[in-house]
Amino acid sequence: MADLVGVNGQREHFRVVGKPNLPGKVSYALATGVAKFGIDFVVPDMLHAKILRSPFANARIKHVDTTKAWQLPGVVDIVTWEDEDIKNLGATPFSFGKRRPWLDNIAEHEGAEVGVIVVAENLDICEEALRLLDIEWEIMPHVIDILRGREEDAPVVRPPELQDIPGGLFTTPPDENHPKRGNVSFAITVQGDVDKAFQEAENIIEYDLKLPAFASHIPNPPASVAWWFDDPYEGSGKSLHIEGAVQRKDSIGAMYGMPPNRTVQEGIFQGGKYCDWGMRRSQEITPLLAKRTGRPVRMANTREETFDFLMKERYMYLKVAYTNDGLITAVDDYSIADGGTQGSSSFGTSGDQGYGPYYTLRCLNIRQQMEIVDSNRGKMYLSGQHCPFNWDAGTMAIYLIAEKLGKDPLEIASINVHGPTSQEDKNPVPSFEACIEAGRKLMNWQWHPARGKRLPDGRWHGMAFRYQICPRHAFSGYDCKLELRDGVVHLPTQGPVTGIFAVECNAMVVAEELGLEYDDIKVDFDYREKFTPVGGGSDGSTASAWAMKECANILKKMILEAAIDEANNPPPPSLFDFGRPKEPSPLKGRKPEELDLIDGRVVVKDDPSIGVPLAQATRRNLVATYSGRPPAALWSLGRGKMLDTMNTAYCEVAVDEETGEVEILRFGVVADPGKVLRPTSLESQIDQVMYFSQGCQLLEEYVYDERTGVKLNNNMVDYRKPGMLDVPPVDRQFLETRAGNAAYGASGISHSLANTHLVIIAIHNAIGVWVDPPATPDKVLRALGKA
Amino acid sequence: MIHEENAGKGSAVNAVPVAKSPFTHASTSAQAAAAIGAIPPVLKEFNCPLCNTLSYSLNELTKHYEECHPGSVVPRIVVLNINGKDCEVLIEPHWTLKRALQFRLGLTGAKHMCDRGVCGSCTVIIDGRPVLSCTTLTVECEGKAITTVEGIAANPKWKPLIDAYCRWDAMQCGYCTPGFVVSAKALLDRSPNPTEDEIKEALSGNICICGTYPRHAQAIMEAALKLETEG
Repeated sequence: MADLVGVNGQREHFRVVGKPNLPGKVSYALATGVAKFGIDFVVPDMLHAKILRSPFANARIKHVDTTKAWQLPGVVDIVTWEDEDIKNLGATPFSFGKRRPWLDNIAEHEGAEVGVIVVAENLDICEEALRLLDIEWEIMPHVIDILRGREEDAPVVRPPELQDIPGGLFTTPPDENHPKRGNVSFAITVQGDVDKAFQEAENIIEYDLKLPAFASHIPNPPASVAWWFDDPYEGSGKSLHIEGAVQRKDSIGAMYGMPPNRTVQEGIFQGGKYCDWGMRRSQEITPLLAKRTGRPVRMANTREETFDFLMKERYMYLKVAYTNDGLITAVDDYSIADGGTQGSSSFGTSGDQGYGPYYTLRCLNIRQQMEIVDSNRGKMYLSGQHCPFNWDAGTMAIYLIAEKLGKDPLEIASINVHGPTSQEDKNPVPSFEACIEAGRKLMNWQWHPARGKRLPDGRWHGMAFRYQICPRHAFSGYDCKLELRDGVVHLPTQGPVTGIFAVECNAMVVAEELGLEYDDIKVDFDYREKFTPVGGGSDGSTASAWAMKECANILKKMILEAAIDEANNPPPPSLFDFGRPKEPSPLKGRKPEELDLIDGRVVVKDDPSIGVPLAQATRRNLVATYSGRPPAALWSLGRGKMLDTMNTAYCEVAVDEETGEVEILRFGVVADPGKVLRPTSLESQIDQVMYFSQGCQLLEEYVYDERTGVKLNNNMVDYRKPGMLDVPPVDRQFLETRAGNAAYGASGISHSLANTHLVIIAIHNAIGVWVDPPATPDKVLRALGKA
Repeated sequence: MIHEENAGKGSAVNAVPVAKSPFTHASTSAQAAAAIGAIPPVLKEFNCPLCNTLSYSLNELTKHYEECHPGSVVPRIVVLNINGKDCEVLIEPHWTLKRALQFRLGLTGAKHMCDRGVCGSCTVIIDGRPVLSCTTLTVECEGKAITTVEGIAANPKWKPLIDAYCRWDAMQCGYCTPGFVVSAKALLDRSPNPTEDEIKEALSGNICICGTYPRHAQAIMEAALKLETEG
């Protein structure tokens, strides 16, 4: 595949696309601190609100007496789950069918929002009022250890009334063939004849691994401020203004019966999401509270309240059959995954099945069986930065087979990765081979077996490799609009600004197609606009840029036609026509197809010295629109069984056997995004996912008190993210096979490089024993039998 | 009744400031300067933090407390020097500087992230030293020179630093970026030509969850060169 359908998809010469160090269109707002995120908004006459958080891991409010709280000066409103306003509150986005009330009296994890909301003059009063609630709790048994929760005598933790409520689009659907047992739901997918393949296997390896739970950790704690106002342009009744629900303002407006034109949001800065797209209650409820009190209401999560899951815990047991050459012939994956609380996303559980690492292999016999265990650990709202899909279970298989056969894992991977069209395509996809070849050089790759190399300082050297597909998402369509206004090209968009520099990629493509410079494209942020450049994370920028490329060429055609029309029929000069050329246009008598836009001028193709600046070529205001999207990505069409662009990651570590300390000497990444649109941000996104990977393999882990179910480290002191002095160098190299089908053959990389076991495998390669992530020094020493 | 986050009519928080595009250095610098300019030097109205009753002097508010909220700690006025400007701020004694900046003065460049002094997103400069405003009490700041990111943004001298941050994408979501810029400015004040290691050390208290770490050294070293050239 490539960009064969779009205009100029095969463009060879680029002036703007691929250029580094072009400031982002909002970067100055971010660097100077003038950018306002939801939590920043403070408006006149504003009240504050807080929701009660459960101190128990699994509990139900039997009764609450709010009398004392109401008596506290400054308390303006108290709402409970029994209030009609709450019961009547509309469905949250992505909810279908029978749904859980927006707020009820059941808390499925410690810290869960439950039962009561207090509105007061300030935050201190809110907190004091919550403390004054007289609550009668029914405390129920909880499950924190999912291995315990799957046992037959484990307490069933999900209350009956929540058992059959679908949580939304991205939650685990019931498996009719394997009914739920206790806390355990089942998800099973099978391809081929797995049992027969194992019977005929030349070799079999068995191993297990643990995927760690990993914190969501959105940098800007979710928050919103809402108020109602009279909008004379919209007639009678109030309109809603909400800040802090960027990209979801219309969904939230709909909860309150407000159409998009009556839901206002001026802020565009969303902050980091890392695919954690779920709205939090603090972003949804302020309109109701503002309506009840008649004043603006702010609700903000604290940092502690922002520790949800970006990835859920999973235990995996793998059995893999392979030939004496290293060709994998069967995969049997048995997983026990944390299902979390009601409404948790199915990414990380059943949503990971049927595609992923195993389906990039020529192996045709694949079975994935999963137990999904209801727990009281917490909630995963949607997706996560760590491309889950149990990808590193496959990475480990390749490593282990290499170890068994005494071969290089790159060689084993090359034997197993299939070609572009199907799993039966024997030649590895060219993008993969190109990445491998470049990776060998980048890393000066000299494979050694486990405990095969010691560094001069006495530490053990370890190395590891993994590959991934570049999963361009193909689910979003784009409503593009470009305007030529007073000779300047405007790109109107609602945003949002998420940090992936998506609108910048679009502006670069527009500039490329219109023969302009990047700075010539004015991006107008306006919540009323339709165009949003995201949709599938950073891959959205390659897909939206494809659609914007089409739009740019429509505008270009309009400009050239207008230029000819005005050259042939010059409009009469007006009083304000200062600076307009007095001479007849040199374009007079030409045809649009004879013209081009080059370096900001409308010129004659055959003789570009003949032409006029764009601003003089036409005085018309032109508006071009295009609605559509690039052809569906191979990843989504083939669910991983068809391949276009790939990426590879490498890691070198040094392990000190005496202290258990692991140092990542360097990461290496050779990636083929198809076509690099904006290199500076692409490089940074590579760094980001590698540091995410470092964090979950060396530092980060949720810690619970098993007895109470309380999460002990939901703060940034005890739950450490990598800092400036922690991160290793990341050597990066980009290839451009143009094999994707978004703009110019791009496919993006998204967060597919984020991983859970690249460092862990390198540690094994260093010291010859497995350490579950995070590989903290004490765990390394324990694995070595030294602690 | 209009009340402004209990701050009184003299507060800077009297509008809904939303950053407007296009976002150039000139426009954002002007917006930062406007935010500083909007801070009133003297308070004229005093809303009761507990019940929103309006008073017109601190004495009147104190009397209101004695009558309506006996036993409660009466708010007090502190005079802060923010970005070179003296201003009265009505606070309660437990208020952090971060809280006062956002809810009294309308300065939101210092960001709320960890709220316990480990992430650096709320960094300001107090008497030349980078300080975490989320763990600094406002009452401790009287008589000290406080520089926020808005003050840096509004000062043309620091344009090379802001430019370099933007050229190098030393930000992704951008939430933590102002904290880094403030730490960088404090570093450049004391070490105009820092090495990469010095930069890493100086910025090691700032957490960027998006992982932009390598970009900061690139940006700061580029800015240092330009600052030196431009004198």
